[in-house]
Amino acid sequence: MMRYVLGRLGGVVLILLAVCLFTYLIFFKLSPDPAVMICGKTCTPERIDSIRDVLGLNQPLLTQFWDFLSGIFVGRDYGSVHCSAPCLGYSFQTNESVWSMITARLPVSITVAVGAAVLWLLVGVIGGLVSAVKQGTWWDRSAMGLALGGVSVPNYVLALLLQYVLVVKLQLLPFPSAVPFADNPLLWFESYLMPWVVLAVGYACLYARLTRSNVIDTLAENYYRTARAKGLNGALIMRRHALRPALTPITTIFGMDFAGLLGGALITETVFGLNGIGKMAADSIAKNDQPVIMAVTLLAAFFVVIGNVVVDLLYTALDPRVRVVSS
Amino acid sequence: MSDELFVVDNLTVTLPTSRGPVDVVKNVSFTVGRDETVGIVGESGSGKSMTALAVLGLLPRGARTSGSVRLDGAELLGRSDRDLRSVRGNAISMVFQDPLSSLNPYYTVGLQISEMYRTHRGGSRSAARKVAIEALERVHIPDAARRVDHYPHQFSGGMRQRVMIAMALCCSPSLLIADEPTTALDVTVQAQILELLGELQSTTGTGMMFITHDLAVISSIAQRVLVMQSGDPVEYGTAEQVFSAPRHEYTRMLLDAVPRIDDEVLS
Repeated sequence: MMRYVLGRLGGVVLILLAVCLFTYLIFFKLSPDPAVMICGKTCTPERIDSIRDVLGLNQPLLTQFWDFLSGIFVGRDYGSVHCSAPCLGYSFQTNESVWSMITARLPVSITVAVGAAVLWLLVGVIGGLVSAVKQGTWWDRSAMGLALGGVSVPNYVLALLLQYVLVVKLQLLPFPSAVPFADNPLLWFESYLMPWVVLAVGYACLYARLTRSNVIDTLAENYYRTARAKGLNGALIMRRHALRPALTPITTIFGMDFAGLLGGALITETVFGLNGIGKMAADSIAKNDQPVIMAVTLLAAFFVVIGNVVVDLLYTALDPRVRVVSS
Repeated sequence: MSDELFVVDNLTVTLPTSRGPVDVVKNVSFTVGRDETVGIVGESGSGKSMTALAVLGLLPRGARTSGSVRLDGAELLGRSDRDLRSVRGNAISMVFQDPLSSLNPYYTVGLQISEMYRTHRGGSRSAARKVAIEALERVHIPDAARRVDHYPHQFSGGMRQRVMIAMALCCSPSLLIADEPTTALDVTVQAQILELLGELQSTTGTGMMFITHDLAVISSIAQRVLVMQSGDPVEYGTAEQVFSAPRHEYTRMLLDAVPRIDDEVLS
């Protein structure tokens, strides 16, 4: 088991290195000259040269990449400015340290992701479960119809609609802003409610359909019939012989979806003007702010890769068939 | 104590289909005495398994039954699901065809045996675990104290069926329904399982309803045989009667279909 974990972690390091290299090549080599971008409109060739010098753009590609990589772990110097580890460079737009931009915005993205995940798991899994048990009834059909509709609605449409109705027309909620929980718990909740709902709707619908079909498949399993033939009581049959097998595969999908969201909910954060990683990504792309784009790409890759490993390890704990093969 | 442990009298099972209700079991009657094995034979779709499921009230949703099914004189048909729970696995238990898919892959065999024991007999986890180990020993699973913590996929096909049988017998039922228990197994393992069932029956006195499409299997263990075709009982009698002097055309056809070692080989 230990060997398996170490092997997986080694794989993680390799994947992250590869992602680093590719994003570096794409954003620094295939994009417009960063020195020209930083220099702006009134610019002299001498100034461009000196910027190149400070950023190390005159160095061979491999040296530049090494500087970038080692900056993350031990820090680096840009001319006279020292950027302490973990150094992801400075924004071309605001000269802010990219690392501090991330640490300031990550809590917002995490809040959005966790709240939405709780919501969609509750609604999706319970909805799907009830649908499966009441298969073919009026409830099942309307819930699944609704789920199909929910998956089809783009979330920026839903976001604008909710905002118009709840904030502008009915004035039930304040306009969303990233209020820290400690400052004002009620306002915090009201601010994040719409982003949570908007983000959760699509996932909840997907999870409801998934849960329903998984549970229905499990109810047709021979071991479910065995459990009934054994005379076990309904709750025990449901818990052990229907829910556990039906919900285990959902943890995999949930892990991946959740990890993906930690890298920022681009559309939701942008529409609601929440200053999270997603909005930062959107802004940096619009302004071609390469160090920031690079950092958010790496961050997203980091979460997805780690999420993957966590899900795999969790799965070995949840499904004995996987556990034995891996040990 | 009467000789007739289990009586099925004029049992009819009707299933709803898109083309209206269909009788999948029609007026079936037979009895199983203590210590006795009754074979129910027929092709797939002849209503054998539906008869078994009807006994335990495990028919698909919307199914209707009529007639009478009695265990020790007590009527089982028409009882509520809740009421039947105390019968299932306790007074009547069942062994299914495919032991791998009939055991839950997420739990150890020990838990699957002890959850059933605790449901009907109560008691602590550790006591139920002891019962599970004893049950595994009774079906000759070597190293039962260690194997009790293994998962179904860690057993071979024959061993899994032994686990199913151990589970079915852990509450000492008076009737065991075996639904094609050897069909998914290879021939040598089949023989071992049949031998085990015979051995357990002689020590426990459990009546057995043995469902199969395999006449060779039936002839080796059943005292009485019911032959079914498309839901109809076509022949019922002692094994000797049915096999040596089949009265019905269909039974003759089934018997002729059994390959014999002295058959001429077609070239």
